[in-house]
Amino acid sequence: MIQLVDIHKSFGKQKVLDGLNLTVEEGKTTVIIGRSGGGKSVLLKHIIGLIRPDRGQVLVDGEDITLLNDKDLNEVRKKFGMLFQEAALFDSMNVAENVAFPLREHTKMSNEEIMDIVRNRLNAVGLSDVEEKMPSELSGGMRKRVGLARALAMQPQIILFDEPTTGLDPVMTEAINQLIIETQRAFNLTCVVISHDIQSVFEIGHRVAMLYEGRIIEYGTPEEVRASRNPVMVQFLAGSIEGPIQIL
Amino acid sequence: MNGPTATVERIGRIVLENVEELGRILLLFLSALSWMVRPPLKLHHILKQMEFVGVKSIFVVVLTGTFTGMVMALQGYHGFRMFAAESLVGSTVALGMTRELGPVLTSLMVTARAGSAMAAELGTMRVTEQIDALAVMAVNPVKHLIVPRLIAGVLMVPLLTVVSDFMGILGGYFVGVHILNINSGAFMKNIFKYVTLGDIYNGLAKAACFGLLMSLIGCYKGFNTRGGAEGVGRATTEAVVLASISILVSDYILTAIMF
Amino acid sequence: MTVISTEAKVGLFVLAGIIILAFMSFQISQPGFGLKRGYTIKVVFENAAGLDKDASIQVAGVEVGRVESIALEEGKALITLRIKSDVKLPRDVTASIRTHGLLGDKYVELSAGTKGNSNLEEGEQIANVERQADVDKLIHQISGISEDIRGVTTTLNKVLGGKAGEEAVGDIVTSIRQLTVNLNAVVKNNQQTLHAMLENGRMLSENLNKVVTQNDQKVAQVVENLQSASKEMEKTFASLSEVTEGIKKGEGTVGKLLKDDEMADRLNKTVASLQDVSDKLSQGKGTLGKLINEDETVTNLNTGLAGINRYLAKQEQYRTHLGYRGEYLFEHNNWKSYVDLRIQPREDYFYILGLVADPRGRKYIRDYTVNGVTSRVEEWDKNGLLFNVQVAKRYRDLVLRGGIFESTGGAGFDYLAFNDRLKLTFEAFDFTDDNRRAHLKGFGEWRLLKYLYLTAGWDDFINSDNRSPFVGFSIRFEDDDLKYLMTSAPIPK
Repeated sequence: MIQLVDIHKSFGKQKVLDGLNLTVEEGKTTVIIGRSGGGKSVLLKHIIGLIRPDRGQVLVDGEDITLLNDKDLNEVRKKFGMLFQEAALFDSMNVAENVAFPLREHTKMSNEEIMDIVRNRLNAVGLSDVEEKMPSELSGGMRKRVGLARALAMQPQIILFDEPTTGLDPVMTEAINQLIIETQRAFNLTCVVISHDIQSVFEIGHRVAMLYEGRIIEYGTPEEVRASRNPVMVQFLAGSIEGPIQIL
Repeated sequence: MNGPTATVERIGRIVLENVEELGRILLLFLSALSWMVRPPLKLHHILKQMEFVGVKSIFVVVLTGTFTGMVMALQGYHGFRMFAAESLVGSTVALGMTRELGPVLTSLMVTARAGSAMAAELGTMRVTEQIDALAVMAVNPVKHLIVPRLIAGVLMVPLLTVVSDFMGILGGYFVGVHILNINSGAFMKNIFKYVTLGDIYNGLAKAACFGLLMSLIGCYKGFNTRGGAEGVGRATTEAVVLASISILVSDYILTAIMF
Repeated sequence: MTVISTEAKVGLFVLAGIIILAFMSFQISQPGFGLKRGYTIKVVFENAAGLDKDASIQVAGVEVGRVESIALEEGKALITLRIKSDVKLPRDVTASIRTHGLLGDKYVELSAGTKGNSNLEEGEQIANVERQADVDKLIHQISGISEDIRGVTTTLNKVLGGKAGEEAVGDIVTSIRQLTVNLNAVVKNNQQTLHAMLENGRMLSENLNKVVTQNDQKVAQVVENLQSASKEMEKTFASLSEVTEGIKKGEGTVGKLLKDDEMADRLNKTVASLQDVSDKLSQGKGTLGKLINEDETVTNLNTGLAGINRYLAKQEQYRTHLGYRGEYLFEHNNWKSYVDLRIQPREDYFYILGLVADPRGRKYIRDYTVNGVTSRVEEWDKNGLLFNVQVAKRYRDLVLRGGIFESTGGAGFDYLAFNDRLKLTFEAFDFTDDNRRAHLKGFGEWRLLKYLYLTAGWDDFINSDNRSPFVGFSIRFEDDDLKYLMTSAPIPK
């Protein structure tokens, strides 16, 4: 499905990704964990072509998207949906128009057809009667739901989640986790989730990958990862300040 | 530590940064240009921007235009009275407005109103990842966000300039004829005699260039915002300062070429 | 409260802006009366210092027109004046250059002239020019004239002085008296014949007139013949002047001749033969003078001349432009080329004949009959050319065109700005095809150099299969040789 091969990326003198390899399996949820500021978001942006690597290949269905021009890249992007950290809803549009946006841009559907899909997607993320509200009137959890509804609008095969539960209370965190699990099943999606919330990781992930110093150092099912003897992994899971991970 | 070398180095770096920035603005413009000719263009987005840049600036432009014309009439009168040539006030106001003050003041006002807003709006969209969201949804941000703003700037600033020219002359007429008691026939006759179509159209061509600069710089600064809410504020200020300077500098160059 | 839509607000604003701009433009542009309205007359001044193009022309202080052009002709200033069409100027107006205003602007003052006179028409020249008196020149000329007069009187004195001279003159006078008496008799006796002759003359000139109006071309030849004839005439005059010169030199001889009795006798005989000539006149040979004085004859001759004038004027007015235009269509990666001929009989009116090479070629619709079933097939011939035939009329900065566009019916307009440097064009054509929408095209053209234009626009932009943005250039020039070809003048060998 998605393969990252030997990805290198630096910003100035700072090396962020250093020969990273990762395969995302189709129909599964892969969770990428790692330190804050450790390049997880950068990794995610590579997958969807927002950032091009200095070296390496990003293969989506066997096609290297790092070589594509804007037009062809846009075709590939139509397979994707993405939920941003702060949902990235368009401030100037109400909820319904936000969800309808990709449909209006890429399809020739009538307004009624589009509104049907909008209601359907909002129901799927557990929202109703919010169509007319502006994003600024919504709570953090609701914004993420709307963001997910928008990501689902074009019926993508792959959804990327950038820290979906950051900044939410435990109840809302749980609700969002359940939502990810349900939608993954309901639409049979391939999901890539970035998180550093350990509890969520083992709840939603079919596969877990640990990103450390620009590489994936541990990859496997939640059970395998939990049983890992790798000192970095152990320290990260335990949340200890003692170990190889430098705090400063 | 070597003092002079460090200074030279610093100056060199500043120059290099500015040249680089100029290059990036130019590249953004070319990219926008190439998207401009690729259909489909969403008319509604363009109209929305035209409303924002044009319609909503009418009031402030009418106000500046009128008062500029009035002040020019007042100032000109005191000068021309020395030569008993008060009737030339009309043509002075009309020429000044159409050739220079109309385009420049209008675009400066629009920069303050709309250029800053463009930088702030795009800046906010950048820091809240809305621009990334557009790209992810296979919508080109340059085409979606920048092209309509550039088109609106190029079309609306000249149109506002027309309004400003007209109001300026009207204001000048009011002050000249009703307050300073200049003969109204002579006032108008001198306008027709000394103002040519070229004065008006060259003024409008300048205004179109200023409109382009204003929206291009506003968009560029907003589009490349970094660093959260503070970054948005910085981008806005920089956009207004850079756009205003560019307008004044390019005004000189364009005037030298055209007139 | 109803909410006004974005579209409506922007639309209203744009409309208002354009109206204000149009208002200001019309107030300021073309001081007076727009593009090439009214008529032109010419006037020649010895010196037109300070007079500018577009300077005012006034009658009794009222502006009636503007100076259109100032040119040098034979060392004098030829000024073309454009006069409002509702202002009629009598033929005997006097033109002068005056100064007014604080800044010392020059203008042309026309005195009103005599009301009963016929009016000046397009292209005519004002005869009366008030010139600044040049006293030196005047005195010089007068002294020249008085010298001539003195010379003549001296000669006369010599010839007619003396007794023999007096007698001879007396004889001559008597003979002439007899001649006129005879002539009188001739005229009286032959009134009827004369009338018939006049009638013939009139019919002749009438026929001539018909011939002239029907045969402008032949008139051209006639004019040419006349030209060569007038050259001959010039030679004749030259030799005549030699003769008179000779006489002048031999003034003594003439005097001698007149003193000589025998010679006087001969002169008498000569006068007698003149008498003979007048006798012959009675048989109906001559009377040209009377013929020319007849009113109708004069009118007919005038009409004939007007025909010639019209022919000559036509040659001047036709303007022909030949142009090539290439558009690079981005979507087709190919060039679309136009060659066109623009014939402009009047300033505000022209025809376009052209050929277009479209990368798609030309569409043919053929009917195939197979086994009694007729099917209609569209075919594209890549090498097929399309053609344009259009009529255009210009109103100020707007040109409206209609006719055949790329082999189909259509219409379009051009808006010209910046002194015709910028042209914005919109065309709509090919409405006939049911399967496609009309072919719309919009573009701008900028004159870069005198003959070279740059262009960019969007072709066929509402048909997704053929639309394309384009950039290109065009070359256009006015062809003087072609102009003469078109008016069927002889081709220079």
